[in-house]
Amino acid sequence: MTSERTKDFKPGVFRKAYHLCGRLVPIILKPAADRKIKLETNQPGAADVRASGGILQKLNDMKKTLVCALLLFTVARIQAAEISVFAAASLTDSLKEIAAGYEKTSGDKITFNFAASSTLARQIEEGAPADIFFSADEAKMDGLEKKGLIDTATRKSRLGNALVVVVTADSPLQIRSAGDLTTAAVKQIALADPKAVPAGIYAQAWLTRQQLWPAIEPKIVPTENVRAALAAVESGNVEAGVVYKTDAGISKKVKVAYEVPAGDAPAISYPMAMVKESSQPDAAKKFLNYLDSKEAGDIFKKFGFILRD
Amino acid sequence: MSLLLKNISLPLESFALGMDVEVRGRVTAVFGPSGAGKTSLLDLIAGLRRAPSAFIQLDDRVLTDTAKHFSVPTHQRGIGYVPQDLALFPHLSVRQNLLYGCKPGGAAGRLFSFDHVIEILEIQPLTSRGVTELSGGEKQRVALARALLASPRLLLLDEPLASLDAPLKAKIIPYLTRIRDEFRIPMLCVTHDRSEALALADEIIVLVNGQVLQTGPVLDVFNRPASADVAAIAGVETLQAGVITDSHEGLATVKIHGATLTALAPATGTREVFGCIRGEDVILQRDAAASSVRNRLPARIMALRPEGALVRVELDAGFPLFALVTRPACAELALREGEPVTALIKTPAIHLVPR
Amino acid sequence: MTLGEWQIVWFTAWVSALSTLVILPFGLALAWALAWRDWPGKSIVETLVSLPLVMPPVATGLILLKLFGRRGAIGGFLHDRLNFDVIFTWRAVLLALSVMSLPLLVRSARVAFEEVNPRLEQIARTLGSGGWRVFFTITVPLAARGIVAGMILAFARALGEFGATIMVAGNIPGKTSTLSLTIFQDVQIGQDSSAFRLLGVSVVLAFAAVWFSEFLLRRKRKTR
Repeated sequence: MTSERTKDFKPGVFRKAYHLCGRLVPIILKPAADRKIKLETNQPGAADVRASGGILQKLNDMKKTLVCALLLFTVARIQAAEISVFAAASLTDSLKEIAAGYEKTSGDKITFNFAASSTLARQIEEGAPADIFFSADEAKMDGLEKKGLIDTATRKSRLGNALVVVVTADSPLQIRSAGDLTTAAVKQIALADPKAVPAGIYAQAWLTRQQLWPAIEPKIVPTENVRAALAAVESGNVEAGVVYKTDAGISKKVKVAYEVPAGDAPAISYPMAMVKESSQPDAAKKFLNYLDSKEAGDIFKKFGFILRD
Repeated sequence: MSLLLKNISLPLESFALGMDVEVRGRVTAVFGPSGAGKTSLLDLIAGLRRAPSAFIQLDDRVLTDTAKHFSVPTHQRGIGYVPQDLALFPHLSVRQNLLYGCKPGGAAGRLFSFDHVIEILEIQPLTSRGVTELSGGEKQRVALARALLASPRLLLLDEPLASLDAPLKAKIIPYLTRIRDEFRIPMLCVTHDRSEALALADEIIVLVNGQVLQTGPVLDVFNRPASADVAAIAGVETLQAGVITDSHEGLATVKIHGATLTALAPATGTREVFGCIRGEDVILQRDAAASSVRNRLPARIMALRPEGALVRVELDAGFPLFALVTRPACAELALREGEPVTALIKTPAIHLVPR
Repeated sequence: MTLGEWQIVWFTAWVSALSTLVILPFGLALAWALAWRDWPGKSIVETLVSLPLVMPPVATGLILLKLFGRRGAIGGFLHDRLNFDVIFTWRAVLLALSVMSLPLLVRSARVAFEEVNPRLEQIARTLGSGGWRVFFTITVPLAARGIVAGMILAFARALGEFGATIMVAGNIPGKTSTLSLTIFQDVQIGQDSSAFRLLGVSVVLAFAAVWFSEFLLRRKRKTR
C-alpha cells in the first residue's frame, strides 16, 4: 500500500510529519505483531499459531500512514485560513469563480454569505462573524464605518455596474424608455426592496430622476434582494424587473429590454473592506488584495461589471 | 298494524340475527336475555342499521328489501324510537326536544296534539327546563312524548324500564299503558324483564342468541314454554331434569332428583324431560295434612328473599325448589331459614318439557 | 404607533379573519368526513391535510407559488381565462393564511365531531330530520365549542403567518404587508423601534387568541 498525498498540505511539511509519525506510532499504537501473538498465546493450544512477518510489516506501515495523514490534515487545517465573505447578491457568480481559483493557489478557504447588502450590514452590526464585507453601494459601507466596524485602511471601491430593465425571454413587451414602464401592459415590476437594498435604491433614484416614480410606485413588487427580483421575472409572475446588467447576463430565462444609460441613473459603486473584528486579518487582507488584482478584474469584466481602476 | 320481518339475516359479534315473523299485536314485546340482538333488531327496523339480507314491511309500505337494494332512509320511515339511554338532546330545552320531530305546518300534520301528549304524560311543568335538570322518570316521559309528537306509525322502545328502580318502574308502566290505550300506536318493546312484558304486551317474541324461539300471546308463552331455553328466560323459577317413569291416562310420573311427582304427560312420548315449576304454583304448608294436591314434598327452607309484596322462598326438596308466597303468609307460617315445611304442587302446574 | 403601522395591524387582522371564514365550510366538511366514516383514501387525505402543519412554511409557500403563479396549473388558468392574478396580491396573502391555518381548524373540529354521541344523531333521524338538518341542528351545536376553539387557533396562526406569505405575496407596502413581514423587514433595515412596537401588538393578539381558546375548552370540560 503506497502512502497517500492529499492536496491540502505542502511537501516540506509532509516529510517532517512523516518522521514525527514514525516516532509517535510506537507510542500510540503497539505494533500489531506483539499484540497478535500475545492474544494467541493466551488461548490454550494456540502456541503453534504465528502470524507471518510480511503481513505484519505492511499493517504497521498502513497504520503509520493513517496517523500521519490525520495529523497532517489537522495541521494543514490549522495552517490554512477560512475566510468569511459577506457579499452583495449580484456578486454571487463572479465571486464564486474568483474564489475557486484563489483557493487552489493560496490554500485558504473562502465561505460566502450572499444576500442584500442591507441584510448583510445588519448582520455585521449584530456581530455576525464576517471577515470581509463587499457591498453594492457606498451607503451601507458608510453606515458600518460610522459604527466603527470597518477597517477603513482596507476599503476600496473598484467595481461599477449598470441597471437594466428585463422581461421574460419570450415576452412581446417593448421597453424603449423609462416611460414605457408606465403603460398598462406592464402591470407589475419587480425590484429589490427600494427601502433598503442598493439595487432597489438605485432603481428608485433613476425613476425619480425621470420623474416617473409616483406613476410606477404602485406597480412595484419589492423583493428581498436583486436576485429575487430576477427570479420573479423569470417565473413570469411579473411583466418586468429592474436588475443589474450583470444579473441579466447570467439568466437565460430573461432578456434585457432596456439598458439604463449611465447618465440617467446614479453611479453604482461596489466598495469592499475588511471587517475590524475579523479573526483572520492577514488572510482577509490577502484576499482583498487578490480581489484588486488583474486576474480578479478579468473575471469581473467577464461577468459584465465595470472596472474603475 | 302489521309488521313483516322476513329473511332477516344480520351477523353480530358472536352470533347471527335471523328472523322470519309477522308482528300483529297492539304491543309486542321482544323478550330475551341481554345481548340477544334485540337492540340490533330495533336498529334494523328503524333503518339505522343495514343487514346483508332483510325484508321489512310496515302495513302496506315496504321499508327494506335487500333483494332489490331498496331501503327507505330513516327520516322517512315514520318510526319512533326511544332508545335505552333516551338520547335527549342536551343542547336543547325540553320544549325544543319535544318539538324537534314535529313537522312544520302546525297541528294539521300531527297525529296527536302537543297539549294532549304532554297532558297524558304529565310533563307540562317541565317544558321550560333544560334536559340536564330532569330526573330519571321525567327524562323517560319526555323521551316518550318526543317520539310521539313526531307522529310515528310504530313506536320502538328499547328496555323502557331497565334503568329505573322498582318504584319508578311502577310509576312509568301506567304511562306506557296510557300510550297504548289513548294513542293507539302499535309498540314494539324490547325487554328482558318478565313483569314488563306481562304488564304491557299482548304478544311476545322470544329472542335468544339471535334466533326466535317462540312467538305468541304473552301468557301462552310464559305458561307453556316450547323449550327449556324459553322456559329459563320466561323465568320459570324451578327447572330441573327428570325422567318419566310411568305414563298413563294423560298423567305422567316423573322422578326429579329422587322426588316423585305427578304431572301432565307431555305430548311427545319422551322419557327424559325438564320439569318447569313456577314459584307462584308452589304452596307451603307446615304439616302434611290431606288435600287434593298430589305432590307433597318435604323440604327445608334454605333462604328467604323479599320481593316487594312477595317473598321468594328457596327450598331444598332434594333439588332446589322455589316458591313465591305473600309476606303476610310468610309471617303467619313463621317461615324461617332452616325450618322444615311441606311443598305442595298441583299436578297441572308441573310443566314437562322434553330434553 | 404610526398610522401606517396601525394600517398593517388592521390589514393583518381582517385578512386573517377572512381566511378563517373562508376555510370554515371546507374545514368542517373535511373534519366531519374524517370523523365518521372509514373510506378508501381516508389516510391519504388525513396526511395531506396535516402537511402544512409539519412542513416548513416556506416549502408550502413554494408549492403554492408554483401552483398559483402565472405559469402554474391553477394560476395559469386564472390569468389566461379570467385575467385574475393571485401572486403578489392580497389574494395571495389570503391563500397562504388559509392553507396554513386549515389543518388547525380541521383537527379541532374533527375531535369535536368525534365526541358527539352518534346515538343523538340517529334519534334525530328517527324524528324525521334528513342529513343536513341533523348536521346543523344536532352535530354542529354539540361540537360548537371545539369548532370555535379551532377557529380561534386558526385565526391566531393566520395572524402570525410568515414563510408561506413571503413566498407567494412578497412584502408589498400597502398591499400585502402583514405584521410578521413588516417586523422582519423593519429589523433588516434597522428600524428596530417600529419592529418592537409591532412585536408588542403581535404578542398581545396571540396571547388573547390562545387564552380565549383555552378558556372555551375549559368551559367545555366543566359542563360535562
